[in-house]
Amino acid sequence: MSYFKQTRRDFLKHSALAAGGLAAGGLTGLGAASARSNELNILCWEGYNSAQVLDPFRSEHGITIRAESLTNDPTMINRLRAGETNVWDLINVNNPWARKIMYPEGLIKPIDRARFEPYFDKMLPEFKAPYKWAMDEKGEQLLGMAQRFGPFSYVVNTDKISRATAEDQGWDLWNDPANAGKYGVQASDDWNVFDICCIAGFDPFKEHSDEEVAKFTETAAKVFKGAKMVSDLATLNQGLVSGEIDFYLTGGTYTASPARADGALNIRAITPLRGPFADGKAGISWIEITSVVNNPDISTHAENFLEYVQSPEMSHTVAFAEGTFNPVTQMGNKACFDLFTKEELDIIQWDSLEEEMARCVEYDIVPDYDKLLDIMTAAKREASGG
Amino acid sequence: MSILSRLLPPGRRHALPLILFMAVGFAAPLFAVIAYSFVPARTFDLWADWSFDNYLEVFNSTSYIAFGWSLGLAAATVLILALVCYPVAFGLARVFGKWATLITLLFTLPLFVSENVRLYGWIMVFIKNGVLLGTLKSLFGWEPDSIVFTPELTLLGMVYVYLPFMLFPMTLGVSMVPQQTRDAAYDLGASRWQVFREVDLPLSMPGIVIGFLLTFVLAVGAIAEAKVLGGQRIIPIANDIEVAFTYAQNWPLGSALAVLLMLLVGFLVLIVLRRFDLDTILGRR
Repeated sequence: MSYFKQTRRDFLKHSALAAGGLAAGGLTGLGAASARSNELNILCWEGYNSAQVLDPFRSEHGITIRAESLTNDPTMINRLRAGETNVWDLINVNNPWARKIMYPEGLIKPIDRARFEPYFDKMLPEFKAPYKWAMDEKGEQLLGMAQRFGPFSYVVNTDKISRATAEDQGWDLWNDPANAGKYGVQASDDWNVFDICCIAGFDPFKEHSDEEVAKFTETAAKVFKGAKMVSDLATLNQGLVSGEIDFYLTGGTYTASPARADGALNIRAITPLRGPFADGKAGISWIEITSVVNNPDISTHAENFLEYVQSPEMSHTVAFAEGTFNPVTQMGNKACFDLFTKEELDIIQWDSLEEEMARCVEYDIVPDYDKLLDIMTAAKREASGG
Repeated sequence: MSILSRLLPPGRRHALPLILFMAVGFAAPLFAVIAYSFVPARTFDLWADWSFDNYLEVFNSTSYIAFGWSLGLAAATVLILALVCYPVAFGLARVFGKWATLITLLFTLPLFVSENVRLYGWIMVFIKNGVLLGTLKSLFGWEPDSIVFTPELTLLGMVYVYLPFMLFPMTLGVSMVPQQTRDAAYDLGASRWQVFREVDLPLSMPGIVIGFLLTFVLAVGAIAEAKVLGGQRIIPIANDIEVAFTYAQNWPLGSALAVLLMLLVGFLVLIVLRRFDLDTILGRR
C-alpha cells in the first residue's frame, strides 16, 4: 500500500553531493535560516502563493513569506521526504495525504484541536468536526484545516453536449468510438489514472486484479489514442471555447472556473450520474488539507497563518485568488457566503455543487498507483507512435 | 621551492576557485544524475545496490518512440533552419547594410519574451476560430481544418523558437568569409554558384557547424513545443524524463533516460566534430 518504496529520510545525510545539485534552487539557504519568527515557508497549490492572500499577513506581522506552488501532490510529499521538512512550515495538499501518508511518516505534526476545531463547526455541513480527512486514523489528532474543495471528473462544452447527456452518458463518453478526436486529456497524470479506472469500470482506490489491470491497459491505450490533445487546463479550456474539442477528461470546477470567469458559462464541470463506486457514487472530489510540517525549527507563524485564512474575508480571497476559482468549506458561514457575488457563485457552479459532491467519492490513495501510472505513461507514448 | 608550490604552481592555484565552482556547480549534479541511474527504481538511497536495471527497463519499454521523436524533430528542425537561416545570415552579413542592426534586433526581441508565452501566442493564431482561421472564416467563409495539436505544428514551434540559435552563429560564419577572397574567385571567372560552393560555404562552415550543434542539442531536449503546440500528440523523451521525476517519483528511471539521452547526443555531436574539426576549419592548425 505504498506509492513509494524508498527510505528517503537518509537521503540528504548520505548524499551531500547530490543535494548540492538538486537543491540549487535556493532552498538550502532557506533551510539554514535561523530567525524562524521572521519567516514562513509554504508549499502549496496555486492560490495560497498569491499576493492577495500573503500580503496582508506579511504587512501585519512584518515577516518574509516564501510560498512555492506545485501542481501535483506526489512531488510535494516527496520534497518533505527528501529532507525538506526543515525548510517548509505549512504544506497544502489533497485530502488523503495528511491522514494516510504524511502523519504516519512523521512529516507533519498535529495542530491544537481546541484552537482550530471551532472553525470546522462554521464550515459547510459535510465538514463538521471531527472531519475525517483532517483527523489521524485513530480520530484523535487534528492534522490540518480544510478549505478549498470541489468535484473533479470531467468538463464539457454544453453547447456541444448538454449537461443532462454528459451526466447520463458518464464515463462511457470515453468508451464511445464516435467520440475519438473530440476530447482532450489534462496533463495531470495522477488524476488520469483515477479516471481511466472509472472509464474501465472499476474503483481506482483499491488493489486491482490482473483482469482489471489488463482492462486498464486497454482503456488507457484507447483514451490516449482518441485524444485530440493532452494539455494544461488553460489550453484545454481554450480548446473547448474555440471548438477544437467538445469535452475533456480530468477536470472540475477547479479547471472550468477560469473559462467561466471569462464569461464562457457553457464550459461546465460535470459529475456523472452513474459510476463504478459503491453506494451509487459516480465521480471523484478533492478537498485540500493544509497541515503544519514537522519542522524541527518551525516558524512561530505557522498556526497563525492557518487561523488567518479561516476568516470570512480571507476565505473568500482564497476561493478567488489568482489562477483558478474554487468553493471553500467556510461558505457554510453566512458571513463568508454573503461575500460571494452571484457571478462568483455561477463561476464555481454553486447551483449544482451540493448534489455533485454527494455523487462523488473523495480522492484517496491508489494502492497500485506505480504500476498503473507506468502503464498509462507507456500508453501515452505509444499513442504518439502512430 | 615548497612542495605546495611544486604541486600547485601559480596558474593552477589561481584556477582553483573556478575548478571548485565548476566541480560543485556543473560536475556534481551531473554525477548525481549518473549515480541515481544505477540505484533501484523508485528509491532515493544513493548507496543502495547498484545495477543496470533502470537501463534494462528503458530498453525493454517503448521509450525508443520518444527518443525517435526527439531526435527526428531535432534533426528536421536543424535542416529547416539551415535552409531558412543561411539566406538571412547572408543578407545580414553582406546585403542589408545599415538595416542589418535593426533586423538583428527584430530577430532578438522575441528572446526577451518567455518561450511559453510565445508558444501560447501561436495557439491563438492557429486554433479553430483563432486569429488565422477565424479571419479566413469571416472574410472568405473558408474553414480549413485546424492544424494545432499536430506534429507539424510542433516542428513549426521548434523552428520558430530555435531560429536565433542557428541564425547568429551562421551570420558570424558568413561574415568571416573575406570579401577579397570572393572577389578573387569572381575575377578568376567563377560563377555565383561556384563562389557559393567553393568559397562561401567552406569558409563559413565554422558558424554553420556551431549553429547546427547548438540548435540540435537544444532541440533534442525540447518539451514545451510538444506540450503546447503539439498537445502531446507526440511525446518527446524530455517529457518521459519529466514524468519520471514528478508524477512517477522514479528518479532512477528518469536519471537513466537522461544519461542515455546525454550519451546519444554526445555520440552524435562527436561524429559531427570528427567530420568537421572546428579547430581545423577555424584555421588554428
